[in-house]
Amino acid sequence: MRRDLPALVLFGASALAPLTIHDGFLLDSLILILLWGAVSSAWNIAGGYAGQVSLGHSAFFGLGAYSAALLATRWNQSPWLGLLVGAALATVAGLVIGYLANRLKGPYFGLATIAFSQVLLILASRWRAVTSGSEGIPVPFRPGLWTLGFSSKVPWVYLVLTLAVGVYLISRYLETSRPGYQLAGVREDEDAAEALGIPCRRLKVTAIAASAAVTSVCGGLWAQYVGFVDPFYVFSVDLSVRFALNSIIGGIGTAIGPFVGSLLITSLEIYLRATFSDFKAGLVGIYLIIYGCLLIVVVRFVPQGLVGWIGERARAMGRYARA
Amino acid sequence: MLELESVTKRFGGLTAVKEVSLRAAPGEILGIIGPNGAGKTTLFNVISGFYAPDGGHVRLDGRDIGGLAPHLVCARGLTRTFQLVKPFGNLSVLDNVMIGALTRVHVVGAAREAAREVIAVCRLEAFADSRARSLPIGLRKRLEVARALATRPRILLLDEVMSGLNPTELVEMIAILRRLHGEGLGLVVIEHIMAAMMRLAQRIVVLHHGEKIAEGRPEEISRDPRVVDAYLGEEFVLADA
Repeated sequence: MRRDLPALVLFGASALAPLTIHDGFLLDSLILILLWGAVSSAWNIAGGYAGQVSLGHSAFFGLGAYSAALLATRWNQSPWLGLLVGAALATVAGLVIGYLANRLKGPYFGLATIAFSQVLLILASRWRAVTSGSEGIPVPFRPGLWTLGFSSKVPWVYLVLTLAVGVYLISRYLETSRPGYQLAGVREDEDAAEALGIPCRRLKVTAIAASAAVTSVCGGLWAQYVGFVDPFYVFSVDLSVRFALNSIIGGIGTAIGPFVGSLLITSLEIYLRATFSDFKAGLVGIYLIIYGCLLIVVVRFVPQGLVGWIGERARAMGRYARA
Repeated sequence: MLELESVTKRFGGLTAVKEVSLRAAPGEILGIIGPNGAGKTTLFNVISGFYAPDGGHVRLDGRDIGGLAPHLVCARGLTRTFQLVKPFGNLSVLDNVMIGALTRVHVVGAAREAAREVIAVCRLEAFADSRARSLPIGLRKRLEVARALATRPRILLLDEVMSGLNPTELVEMIAILRRLHGEGLGLVVIEHIMAAMMRLAQRIVVLHHGEKIAEGRPEEISRDPRVVDAYLGEEFVLADA
């Protein structure tokens, strides 16, 4: 229970926020923090708990975004159905890529996943008959819960919060359950895990598929929230890197880490964008520079991520207090 | 009962293991010795499923396990350790052993209890909460045994678990292995330290250039001229025993 305290504070504050905050900009920021946190947390299932560091998770995000958007616009279906279809497609894609890339380790696995997301990018931007190609798809606003159209941001806060709590609970399950411990073994040393009777391949592929499915749901919700799907954004390497970075900065392989990372990075990005948007065009990308510097500092000085670092400090303090 | 029938393993033009046949009776301690490069570890890799044999059969209780995935071999009751120990470095000793136990015990709490028992048998209680990475090599070897033991094998393959130990640790390790043997566990032991092997093993198989050149009780082996030849210049090691 004590382990869940930071999450209770974070999610509790998010749940209470709409009661006191009515500013659209701040609520929008909160929604994005929770949404990017949820995707990073989904990434963390494969990248953190299973040790399969993917740099192509935008593939699953984009599959979700396109499924929801296409079902809504072309076939006039509910985006909820789109979320389901997207999750199913992403599961299949996750199974396939997990199976094929099973023997690839570290950077090689990362490269294979990048390639996969780029194939989908080309498909989405060229297959004009279905996807409208590089123009992207505007998602029409149709009010109602069934069509996921809300004139207020408040329902979005609770929708995205539910998703975030869900992914957090999956992560906590992975810290305390049999498959979770077995995955930790696979991550630490695959040969040893295999020798101890753990079906490594099956576990890894399952973790990647689950991670893909949740990522896809996030992508579908994002498309409905933003109202526009652009292939060069949803399938971008930038986006994949963001999912990974939030987890790495916050604390890879921890349940709360991706959310801490997202809180830091997303708010920093929003703040920097807002601050520097008034300047001349030359400063438009400055937030990327600051973003990059921050990353260097974290990787250099707290490679275990903020959550791991705080945990170590706390234990050191505990020892100091007892001594 | 573990039974090998003319098992062969080739790497390109090199035959690492050539038509080796042997059997380990239930509850027996079988030693495998041989100079460096004799094919001992390759043989373990074939038995435990990490390599598929290029010829011959590996049978566990009469069923062919040759080419079966390692985790399935473990499920059938045969677990191996690694010469270069492979602890789950970032996890605690208890978690390491518990992950082994989870193969048989599917409930986490019960697996943790089972792991504690194994840790007690291997005398690692004092280190249960230490990170595996922080252990000195002697204790890591013991952790390697404990983790494999937690999967409740009927036959345990031990790859040089006694090398690199100091004399005190060696005595403890021998005591642990004797105890396991006393509880009916079958052990197949690769070892370089002849003195320990001579005291521990009931039967010894000698490999040289991938072939079995001798088999017998320790005192027979130490007098066998082919064995002494293979270990040319190492007679004193044998004499030590």
